Amino acid sequence: MTQQTFKSAKRRYHRMFWPLMAIYSVIVLAGSYGLNQLDPQPTWLQATLAVACAVPVIATLLVMMRYAHETDEYTRMIQLQGLAWGGIITTSVLFIVGFLQLFHVIQHFEVFWFGPFFFVAYGVSTLILSGGKHC
Amino acid sequence: MKNIIRALRTERGWSQASLADELGVSRQSVNAIETGKYDPSLPLAFAIARLFGKSIEEIFDDATEASIAAE
Repeated sequence: MTQQTFKSAKRRYHRMFWPLMAIYSVIVLAGSYGLNQLDPQPTWLQATLAVACAVPVIATLLVMMRYAHETDEYTRMIQLQGLAWGGIITTSVLFIVGFLQLFHVIQHFEVFWFGPFFFVAYGVSTLILSGGKHC
Repeated sequence: MKNIIRALRTERGWSQASLADELGVSRQSVNAIETGKYDPSLPLAFAIARLFGKSIEEIFDDATEASIAAE
């Protein structure tokens, strides 16, 4: 077995995670500020900015999967179960909100919020699965 | 699965963190294995056995699994 498997995987994870979060923050803040300066706002620019904001988040998801692949077996189990529970909880809420909209109980809900909701559900699930210890 | 890792570790004066470093796993992994919350894979069980200079059977107690298999 490779020595320092867990530590090197954790290092690689942090080396990618924090820069990606910084890039995400810069794109969202600078992008929305820049867009607000324009009147009218060109659709192509709005679309480009929307995709650009999502790219660091998608990259973060891939980094999370790489961490799950490279880390030790117990942490991998906790991470993958956390991701699974995050997905199950988010999809369940997505269906409930979707049907509430179809049956005209609620009028409008921003789809965007399911993204952050997934990360919260994943984080809480991982914390519960690991018995409150950070993995 | 019950095991005597905690006893072997404390006998040698090792912390969970130092054992985790030796095995290349997290301290949480060592804790989960020691408390029986997680059963290690065969390669990790061999690594643990090698580190303590014992056989897998000497460290891990498969009494529960053996009784289930016998039924």
